[in-house]
Amino acid sequence: MSKQRPERLEIDWTRCDGHGLCAALLPEAIRLDDWGYPIIDQRRVAAEPVAAARRVVACCPALALRLERTG
Amino acid sequence: MTALLDPVTVPIGYVGTPRLLRMPDLFEFDAHLAAHGALPALDRPALLSLLDAVHLTGRGGAGFPLAAKLRALRSGPEPVVVINGAEGEPASAKDRALLGWVPHLVLDGAQLLATAVGARRCLVAISDPALAASLRQVLACRPEFQLAGSHRTGRSVTGRSVTGRSVAGRSAAGRSAAGGFELHAVPDRFVAGEARALIAALNGGPAAPPGRRVLPTDRGIGGQPTLLCNAETLAQLAVLARLGPAAFGSVGTPTEPGGTLLTVSGAVRSPGVLEVPLGTRLGTVAAAVGALPSQAVVIGGYHGGWLAPNPELELSRAGLTAAGGTLGAGVLIFVGEQTCPLAELARVAGWLAGQSVRQCGPCTFGLPALAGELTRLAAGRGEAGNAARIAGLLPGRGACAHPDGASRFVRSGLAALAGEVHLHRAYGSCRRPDLGHLATARRVWS
Repeated sequence: MSKQRPERLEIDWTRCDGHGLCAALLPEAIRLDDWGYPIIDQRRVAAEPVAAARRVVACCPALALRLERTG
Repeated sequence: MTALLDPVTVPIGYVGTPRLLRMPDLFEFDAHLAAHGALPALDRPALLSLLDAVHLTGRGGAGFPLAAKLRALRSGPEPVVVINGAEGEPASAKDRALLGWVPHLVLDGAQLLATAVGARRCLVAISDPALAASLRQVLACRPEFQLAGSHRTGRSVTGRSVTGRSVAGRSAAGRSAAGGFELHAVPDRFVAGEARALIAALNGGPAAPPGRRVLPTDRGIGGQPTLLCNAETLAQLAVLARLGPAAFGSVGTPTEPGGTLLTVSGAVRSPGVLEVPLGTRLGTVAAAVGALPSQAVVIGGYHGGWLAPNPELELSRAGLTAAGGTLGAGVLIFVGEQTCPLAELARVAGWLAGQSVRQCGPCTFGLPALAGELTRLAAGRGEAGNAARIAGLLPGRGACAHPDGASRFVRSGLAALAGEVHLHRAYGSCRRPDLGHLATARRVWS
């Protein structure tokens, strides 16, 4: 549970249906493309509190998101 | 015998001294052995040092070192070797040329790997029905092989074809220590040849890559550690094992020893599969196939890129990377001067969109949108910036590399054809038809 290593927000693209909740919950790091699918800025995800990213993962209705430690 | 081969044969040729294609029509196992010599049996360390000595890389497109793949293979009770002969690129024919003309060379390579890692099962994955028919006969006549340290058991599994059936969880029967080949039919689709999509199809599911990254070397066929290799990679290995690293490296470049297969098509008098030393110049190949004056070349297939037809271009991984391209699986297309290159680009983009398995949103929606923008550009409407922006939304946003490859292909095309875009904007068209130099339907080679 080290806090030093940043976490990446990974998408399972086969599950994502473009509901868009992630972008609504974390607009600082996630925007939507022309078709409503998330574009994630991983550096900004790392800059946000881990709890915020966890909330995004928990709220995805398609269970398409997960947090993974880098490195 | 040759009549049987006809449906799958492809014109072949070479620059320099051929190794894989030096004796075509080696259909009979005995004739194959007489031409190439007996296959040495190598243990895992010997095989690794051989691969390391010449940096043998995979010839399916990604260019991953085979030694690294072998090292990554998880130890497990029933490792599996898979020959990827599902050549999904319409402009590629090298794997069907090998499997049609010199099938035993490919099977030898798989047997070398199987012997070294103790794999009893070698799966041959084929999408072309005619090729499958010819391979069924080849396998029926090829003797079983013994795994290291085993004794002959009378039971042969060689040549059993279980075409089209799921193989997940099917453990080899009995305690036989003989290895055998199994032929499997897989869908003929661009993405189906992708390693993880192929494993999914062989495991009885749809031919689509999984959403989470699972390496075949870790969990492949039936969850077992699996070595999946392109057919040419295995043929190169079979030649390497016989020649040794020094003789193998007597051609090629210092960093990329040996040769490679190219499938050359488009504005050329003699299209076909050509065996060339790595590092051969584009001009040499152009002369060998009788290339007509060309406005561009597409190298590396439809996940590759457009480049200027510079005769000095060095056909090696390093040479093409330096030029901003990629060798990919060796597809080389001359885009002649009489065709509308923007219309060709737009048509291929539409084909790429149609090849999506429609699992992932950016690919499902982005590729058709991109093709639409390119069609507008070819008609002298739209903005190149729109197409470039959409292409920029694709990389890294899918379960497989299809959106990445399609984006690379389109972006390099837009860069190479910037002048054409202006011409079409100014005059509405270039008054040239789409001659179909970039094939989007399976080429009839014979």
